[in-house]
Amino acid sequence: MNQGANTQTVAPLDPNSMENRYGVDGNQPQISSYQYSTGSDGTSWTSHQPVENGNYSNSNYYHPQPTGPGTGNVQEMPNTASFTSSSASGTANVAQDYSGYTPYQTPSDPHNYSNTGYSNYYSGYQQQPSQQSYPQPAGTYQNTGAPYQPLSSFQNPGSYAGTASYSGTYYNPADYQTTGGYQSTNYNNQTAGGYPSTNYSNQTPASNQGNYTDYTSNPYQNYTPDAANTPTSTIATTTPVHYQQNYQQWPDYYSQTEVPCAPGTEKSSVASAYSQSFPVPAVTSEMPASNGQPVPSYAQPWRQETGSSQPAPSQQPGVAGSTSNDAYWMHQTSTVQAHYPVPPQNHYQSPLETKPLYETPFQGHQRATYPQELNSQSSIHQAPLGYRQPTQTTPSVDTQRVSKLQIPTNPRIASNLPSGFTKMDKDSSAAGATQRPAYVSVSMPKPKDHTTAMPDPGALPKSLRGFVERAFARCKDDKEKASCQAALREIIIKAKEDKTLCTRDWDTEPLSSVLYTDVTSTESSSTLISSLQNKSPTRRPKSRWEPLTEAKPFVKSPPTFSTGVKFGGWNHQNENNKKSSESFPKVDAVTGFKPSYAGQNSAKKNFQRPVKRQRFSGGAATAIDDEASSDSDKELTPYYSSAMTLASSAEEKKRRDSRSKRFEKVQGHSRGNNLHKPKNANVGNLHSRRSPALRLSRDFDESGNRAVEDIDWDALTVKGTCQEIEKRYLRLTSAPDPSTVRPEDVLEKALLMVQDSQKNYLYKCDQLKSIRQDLTVQRIHNHLTAKVYETHARLALEAGDLPEYNQCLSQLKILYAEGIEGCSLEFAAYSLLYITLHSNNNRELLSSMSRLSEEAKKDEAVRHALSVRAAVTSGNYVMFFRLYKTAPNMNSCLMDLYVEKMRYKAVTFMSRSCRPTIPVSYLVQVLGFASASTEGSGGKEIDGMEECSEWLKAHGAALIADSNGDMLLDTKASATSLFMPEPEDAVAHGDRNLDVNDFFTSSRTL
Amino acid sequence: MAYVSMGEAHRRITEYMNRFCDAVSYQDSSTLCRLLSFSSNSPPLLSLADALNVFQDASSLIRQSDKFSEHGEILAHLFRSLQSYRVGNLVEAYLAFEKFANAFVQEFRNWESAWALEALYVVCYEVRILAEKADKELTSNGKSPEKLKAAGSLLMKVFGVLAGKGPKRVGALYVTCQLFKTYFKLGTVNLCRSVIRSIETARIFDFEEFPRRDRVTYMYYTGRLEVFNENFLAADTKLSYALQYCNPNRERNIRMILKYLIPVKLSLGIIPKDELLRNYNLHEYIKVVQALKKGDLRLLRHALQEHEDRFLRSGVYLVLEKLELQVYQRLMKKIYIIQKQTDPARAHQLKLEVIAKTLRWLEMDMDLDEVECIMTILIYKNLVKGYLAHKSKVVVLSKQDPFPKLNGKPVGS
Repeated sequence: MNQGANTQTVAPLDPNSMENRYGVDGNQPQISSYQYSTGSDGTSWTSHQPVENGNYSNSNYYHPQPTGPGTGNVQEMPNTASFTSSSASGTANVAQDYSGYTPYQTPSDPHNYSNTGYSNYYSGYQQQPSQQSYPQPAGTYQNTGAPYQPLSSFQNPGSYAGTASYSGTYYNPADYQTTGGYQSTNYNNQTAGGYPSTNYSNQTPASNQGNYTDYTSNPYQNYTPDAANTPTSTIATTTPVHYQQNYQQWPDYYSQTEVPCAPGTEKSSVASAYSQSFPVPAVTSEMPASNGQPVPSYAQPWRQETGSSQPAPSQQPGVAGSTSNDAYWMHQTSTVQAHYPVPPQNHYQSPLETKPLYETPFQGHQRATYPQELNSQSSIHQAPLGYRQPTQTTPSVDTQRVSKLQIPTNPRIASNLPSGFTKMDKDSSAAGATQRPAYVSVSMPKPKDHTTAMPDPGALPKSLRGFVERAFARCKDDKEKASCQAALREIIIKAKEDKTLCTRDWDTEPLSSVLYTDVTSTESSSTLISSLQNKSPTRRPKSRWEPLTEAKPFVKSPPTFSTGVKFGGWNHQNENNKKSSESFPKVDAVTGFKPSYAGQNSAKKNFQRPVKRQRFSGGAATAIDDEASSDSDKELTPYYSSAMTLASSAEEKKRRDSRSKRFEKVQGHSRGNNLHKPKNANVGNLHSRRSPALRLSRDFDESGNRAVEDIDWDALTVKGTCQEIEKRYLRLTSAPDPSTVRPEDVLEKALLMVQDSQKNYLYKCDQLKSIRQDLTVQRIHNHLTAKVYETHARLALEAGDLPEYNQCLSQLKILYAEGIEGCSLEFAAYSLLYITLHSNNNRELLSSMSRLSEEAKKDEAVRHALSVRAAVTSGNYVMFFRLYKTAPNMNSCLMDLYVEKMRYKAVTFMSRSCRPTIPVSYLVQVLGFASASTEGSGGKEIDGMEECSEWLKAHGAALIADSNGDMLLDTKASATSLFMPEPEDAVAHGDRNLDVNDFFTSSRTL
Repeated sequence: MAYVSMGEAHRRITEYMNRFCDAVSYQDSSTLCRLLSFSSNSPPLLSLADALNVFQDASSLIRQSDKFSEHGEILAHLFRSLQSYRVGNLVEAYLAFEKFANAFVQEFRNWESAWALEALYVVCYEVRILAEKADKELTSNGKSPEKLKAAGSLLMKVFGVLAGKGPKRVGALYVTCQLFKTYFKLGTVNLCRSVIRSIETARIFDFEEFPRRDRVTYMYYTGRLEVFNENFLAADTKLSYALQYCNPNRERNIRMILKYLIPVKLSLGIIPKDELLRNYNLHEYIKVVQALKKGDLRLLRHALQEHEDRFLRSGVYLVLEKLELQVYQRLMKKIYIIQKQTDPARAHQLKLEVIAKTLRWLEMDMDLDEVECIMTILIYKNLVKGYLAHKSKVVVLSKQDPFPKLNGKPVGS
């Protein structure tokens, strides 16, 4: 109830608070910050910033979010930017803003956190912030730096000391992706990677996406080093000492938190869907950890960051950022820790079970926490608060509108921000891909990573990869990365749905959408979850199938598509991460504090990210899994490569070159990549195999409440693209691949081909079955379908393949019942004959006879069938064989199967009734041995004679020759000696024409 | 719908509930039956339905008294069903009645004695009738009728309640008959087998101890099943039993039995009197019987064609069609008799030519091969004694009893 109340209350509160905050922040700090960032980053940033600023500065910022998810994403981007900028710009501004926010916070807090503990936290936070002020933050940052080192020692050392280690960690995450260990690992990595922004971005990707592992590993690894390098150079060195002391304590927490995280992730993974579940678990674990040991959870990220910063000087830049972040973190941790713990607990505990609840609580918490943070630490916290608040607002919006709106919004955003996007792309390419590089000038290493990543993937458009890279490059924190991943996923899924995946200009796609989504996702983890649930159903159903068809051309196979979709989500997150990272660099450039904010954001995001992941996991967990399973590297690389190709500008080329160089330099990463790849490949295979089923299952999972009949089968229908006329039948074990399904016009040709074919029945049957399959898969129900089934039924009759005939007939009955004009009377006759001659079911015969219309009874075939029935029921063999000779259509084929019985019956009758003899010539004539040939022709007569006498002998009849040498049937002798011989060539399917040898030979020739 | 005041509605509902509860507490089965019999459209029930439509919140009345709330579930579903039934919403009425029936059966299970068997019969009957009506409504709305199927499974459940040992077993046959009716209507007669096995293999309960009406119904339906299987002897036994024990005043029931018994008897060579056919309005068989008597193949075919739909639907078409051989036999006998009068010495030689000529008179155009075939079949089926000389195209009849009578045995045996 509290949560629910909170959500409601929060929504209103947030907008107001958000507006206020934003207004404050946006007005001064944001702009300034943007400018700063732009200055530091370059033109690309400026472009981004403007967009962001506009969003941020505008009270609309929040409002837009509500309107659409896309806007929310955009907002997020701005928010992050604004935050960073605000932090960078000046503590004073931030403080003011925050002060303004504080009131909001308090109200929001009560609503959100009914618990007194929260209020206490809030108060404490507020006080602390005020006291700490900027100087303190700086100190805190330094302190954080120290602790970070120890923490970093865990993962950081590897990452920093050797990129390989990071890559290894990342790879592990990749492996874990499916298991869910990723988040924890990611976090570790992230923290270790220390750096906050880069690490986070990397981490988030890794954690979020098993698929992305390559991406994450490559880009992130690159990024982390870069970021580390850039920030550390200036700030990190100084800060570390202070932090170390503070953080030393943290290590313990870290260790503790880490452990819990892993279990949590596992649990979460189990609970949630595939890959998505993993992220969620990680989040949950983290959250619990934060709850139980609120400080630790924060501490971990912080520590790791610090550690990363400390261990490697090169990383130090990152450290600097991290330190600033750490400072933020510290504040957050100190104040926030308490706060967070509580909020997380509320959120996570409840959220885990019920997502909706989570969402609301999270929002509330987030909001509450934000206010608190803002209040407590005006400058430092302000940024976080501002972020959180925005995010909160976005979450709320998301929760309300997210699912449906986000998708549409993204396009809008893109349209709105094209210029910005291009810039963004550039940034991302430069700053984003090597986001930090741009900041630090270490951008080179990142490019390498990107380049490496680029080559690997082949499925996704290069531009999309570039987009993803950019997004991740901007991610400041793990949280951001996570959110970015989520956002990317969504975007890509949307793109797939829209079928614009390949067509869209990802180079110009605005990252703002991704970033926004990140913020929203991270901060409003609970909301995100809900939003994800909401969104996932709407988006995914489309994405699964529609994307598939569209995606296939792009990606080679359905699995790739799925991965692409998933990756898209990841890409978003990556983008977010990139953005965040970018923002961090910017902050770093401007001031150390800004990074700290970013770090805070990241930290928050980290916590929130899990939530985001959860969301994804809930809805897109399967998708994520698939993505993860599918080789993220390969798939992503295509995107990247496409992005690269698309980005034909000289800058892009330069960046690529620089990236490639970096890549070469980063051996550790490469190793990590190698390690990851095999694992990924395996996973990918599994996923790819499962992918279709998964999609379906996902649909169900996602929709949850959705009934099967609610599924939009039209959306799932495959549209074939195969132009091959000939196609072997293969029973589908997975969702059909449009590239192997023939469209209707080709099927028509195929049918003609089969009809004209001189090959044997087995070949035709195989071809017809494949045609039927393609028809079924494409849900074609028209005259062609009827024609195919009729053709197959006739061929089956011709070959005596009754099982196949029955299959066709049952389908034909359905088709005729639907009013499709076919040869319904012809098949009514077949049906009658079949019942009469083979099923021997009086009730069935009666009902089928009573169903015959007057019109049907006038039909020649039907009349013939009725006559045959009368002949059979009365045992009139003369009539039967006359009808046999005059049978229209394929009636004689069905009668063929009864000829043996009828002849035996006739001979039995005659040998019992006739005395003393019957000439065989008479039997030949009466029992149809002469076939339809003219009885006058002697040769045939003789053939018939021989055939008849052979038949009679085979059935034990006694034959004698009279004085003229004519063969006579000795009826008296035969009466007791007749028997029905065991069919020597009996085959299970009832037709010796279909014996095994024939089957093998024919199948070989097919 | 007459106007009913709130107070009046309240009074009627309360009165009904009082009567219901009293009937249960006094184990007054007949009253209970009257209270449950929807399809009787009895005035009290109709007025109650009107009252329920006025007084929407009957459940609050049920809760008012402990006496009522004891049967609250049963009454609530019953009221809802009656209400829907009254306003013509038969699907809703069925669904509510099904719930009521489940609740009632549950209650019935708890009653140790079988006092409420009659009421249970009413419930079973109403379930089936309501389901049929609901299906009709569904069909008219273009939806797939499925309520009768649901009723079938409900009845099967009731059968399970009754089929065990004890005093309630007497009611099992009634439910079986309701199941038969359901399955025959659904065309899923193969589902009858399990019920039949349960009834016929139970040694603990003599069939004769079941109520007569149920025995007759049971025999009628099982006899029909035997007709489908062309198991004429068994069908004759069962249908004759039904006819024997059927209430002679129930002409409709007798007619229904005769509809199947006559074809069975005909195929056993037993021909009914015209009176019987006329008395029970079985005109469709008159021509058939005449054809059999005369050996008029054309008449038989015309008769079959004339009533083809009816015979196909009732499922006796194939049985009647098989009478053709007997008609042939009659025809041969006639020829033989005529030959005997004209040329006694060679009367036992039936020339195929003559037979073909006779058939041509009957507008049956057959060549010698066909005639030979038919004669072969007749001889083989033992309708004609003798042999066919193929070379000379002559049927040589046995000198003793060339046309044996069936005498209650099916053809071909």
